[in-house]
Amino acid sequence: MNNDSYDAIVVGTGISGGWAAKELTEKGLKTLVLDRGRMVKHGEYPTATAAPWELPYGGRLTYEQQQRQLVQSRTGYTITQASKHWFVDDVDNPYVEEKRFDWMRGYQVGGRSITWGRQSYRWSPMDFESNAKDGVGVDWPIRYEDLAPWYDHVERFIGVSGALEGLPQLPDGQFLPPMEMNCVEQQFKTVLKEKFGRALTIGRTAHLTAPLSHNDSPQRATCQYRNMCIRGCPYGAYFSSNSSTLPSAERTGNMTLRPDSIVHEIVYDAKKGRASGVRVLDANTGEEFEFSAKIIFLCASTFGSTHIMLNSVSERFPEGFGNDSGELGCNIMDHHLSVGANARVEGFDDMYYFGRRPNGIYIPRYRNIGADKRDYLRGFGYQGGASRTNWTSLMGDTALGAELKEKAGKPGPWYIGLGGFGEMLPRHENRVTLDRSRKDKYGLPVLSFNAAIGENEFRMRKDMANDAAEMLEACGYRDVKPFDNEGGVGLGIHEMGTARMGKDPKTSVLNRWNQVHACQNVFVTDGSCMASSACQNPSLTYMALTARAVDHAVSELKRMNI
Amino acid sequence: MMNRREVLQHVAALMGGAISAPALMGVLSGCSPKKPEAGWKPEFLTREQGALISDVVDIMIPRTDTPGAVEIGVPAFIDKMLKDVYGPDDQKRFMDGLAAFTARAQSEFGQAWSKLSTADRTKLIQQVHDEALKAEHADDKPDRSSRRPFILMTKELTLLGFFTSEPGATQVQQYVAVPGALHACIPLSQAGNGKAWAPESTARF
Repeated sequence: MNNDSYDAIVVGTGISGGWAAKELTEKGLKTLVLDRGRMVKHGEYPTATAAPWELPYGGRLTYEQQQRQLVQSRTGYTITQASKHWFVDDVDNPYVEEKRFDWMRGYQVGGRSITWGRQSYRWSPMDFESNAKDGVGVDWPIRYEDLAPWYDHVERFIGVSGALEGLPQLPDGQFLPPMEMNCVEQQFKTVLKEKFGRALTIGRTAHLTAPLSHNDSPQRATCQYRNMCIRGCPYGAYFSSNSSTLPSAERTGNMTLRPDSIVHEIVYDAKKGRASGVRVLDANTGEEFEFSAKIIFLCASTFGSTHIMLNSVSERFPEGFGNDSGELGCNIMDHHLSVGANARVEGFDDMYYFGRRPNGIYIPRYRNIGADKRDYLRGFGYQGGASRTNWTSLMGDTALGAELKEKAGKPGPWYIGLGGFGEMLPRHENRVTLDRSRKDKYGLPVLSFNAAIGENEFRMRKDMANDAAEMLEACGYRDVKPFDNEGGVGLGIHEMGTARMGKDPKTSVLNRWNQVHACQNVFVTDGSCMASSACQNPSLTYMALTARAVDHAVSELKRMNI
Repeated sequence: MMNRREVLQHVAALMGGAISAPALMGVLSGCSPKKPEAGWKPEFLTREQGALISDVVDIMIPRTDTPGAVEIGVPAFIDKMLKDVYGPDDQKRFMDGLAAFTARAQSEFGQAWSKLSTADRTKLIQQVHDEALKAEHADDKPDRSSRRPFILMTKELTLLGFFTSEPGATQVQQYVAVPGALHACIPLSQAGNGKAWAPESTARF
């Protein structure tokens, strides 16, 4: 084996790539792991322990800095002095918005696993069946039972804190102890059960609330309740590739990790009918490399992987790698959000909390389940929480002077908020294409987005605002304010669907093992593989699918089938 | 409570000493707004404008039994924010508003701001502030905080500079860098010293 040849290549080191790297190397494969971004070792989180007064400009960006991250700033919460370095420079990384599209990216080793929201929910049997039942998109080629053992596997390894609820629409997992709800949330849970028969649980989150059940991650300690997760956690208390999967891959001695490596093409060997490797551009030197391997795992993020596939054209695949179906780049989904309600809570003035909980509450989906039938398909869940206001709320208060100071020193009134995460249906016309007329600074063609939410989502949003307001009112909360701020698709940062799995190669890109139908030594296991979006945060499902796909790939390799 | 270096050592110990030298250096050297105030020379504002801002800030957050905004360097913070963080449109809105505010002091009290008593200054600030706040509350278009007039820009920056400062966070409020535990539903009397917890970070407010 020469230096440029490996058993496996993994493209990307985020949630999915980290898992592919760990599983492949632990199964003994010499694996080249490529990331387009810079190296970030666990612990190299420059702002992780900075106090509020140690961040320049009160945490805000300078005007000059703002101009370089205008797209990334659309979330409103990610681009601060504490975390801006985990998100791309929009000037250097352009894309085309035929319609507004919010593409949030982190180009570094670890990808967005450093900044993810850490909410970790299983999909339910219903979620894998719904496409077939509703005649929407294509049927999933797998069912919940196929994935359940892999959910177990990843939950045990990464550590997910949560409460057992026994809900069919949100299966329980292998949980570490749940985080506690505050006084108002506890009351809300009780009333919700009594008046609506709806469940409310503490967020299921990839944090260690107790030591892991295994000894394979000695670098990970329990949560310190600082709520500075987005900066990177020096305790390794939440799951990231950097704190969890990559160290495991490293320890096998089988991983070669190469940062600053922009994979822009999969090389197809027409004679053998398989991919022989990938072409890489060194982000620093611009040098071209080619690496080869027996199997390739594309885990470059939904649009990252789709970009590479669209850019990999050959005589066999003139419309993009594995794109016999014409579905590559189509069926963009996200979760539609920024809709819900909030309210002021009277009472509980003598109650408070200690510690900054990096987690909220969760109301699992209840719409279109059982006897409930709405004028739209699918449903939504709510994420939210209650807290007492702090000094920022005094911006709208008439108090100035000593009175303002005094108010700032006292915990303010309690407020509670609920924000919906709604399922978005797959639609062929929601698509991303390659714009070969525009190039980025590396000379690579850029992506062009044309996607919008549809009638089903708009109808659902009415419920998402009204239901939230109704529940808060039923609890006797005051000043109930519904809200509905439509952003661009992508703002949920749960993009998926552009290389979907399916049973039929004519209508899907990947098979039931995340293998490209038309080229079986290439696996795609990030969000692009999703055939529907459900309404749960998807990262846990990507991890489970990745581990399952690796298991299959390695056994097929041993049987000499690929 | 652990000091900063101890916290870092604690973290490093937990991680088996894995904090890299560059990361550690970055944290220890900090990058905070400069300490005040003696000899502060405004860079964006004129000396006269800087003096007026100091007066306004001092009235908005005065010294009480805890430090006030002027002594912890908020006027310099505002000057720096205007210079580096605000774009041309925001800068212009601020400067035009400042000029209008100065003119209003002259027309309402018949003398220059610098000659006004603290009582008159306080009265004027409260009046202009309350009018602006009322207008903002009536504004139902998105991103209203990005259209704030002079008096509310000044207030916003004063709040931001003061409450994210160490005295603002640890004396007026309370702040624990590493809580280490969560007690989610406890009597206020058991929540540290009972003051409001300073948040670890703030979105636009």
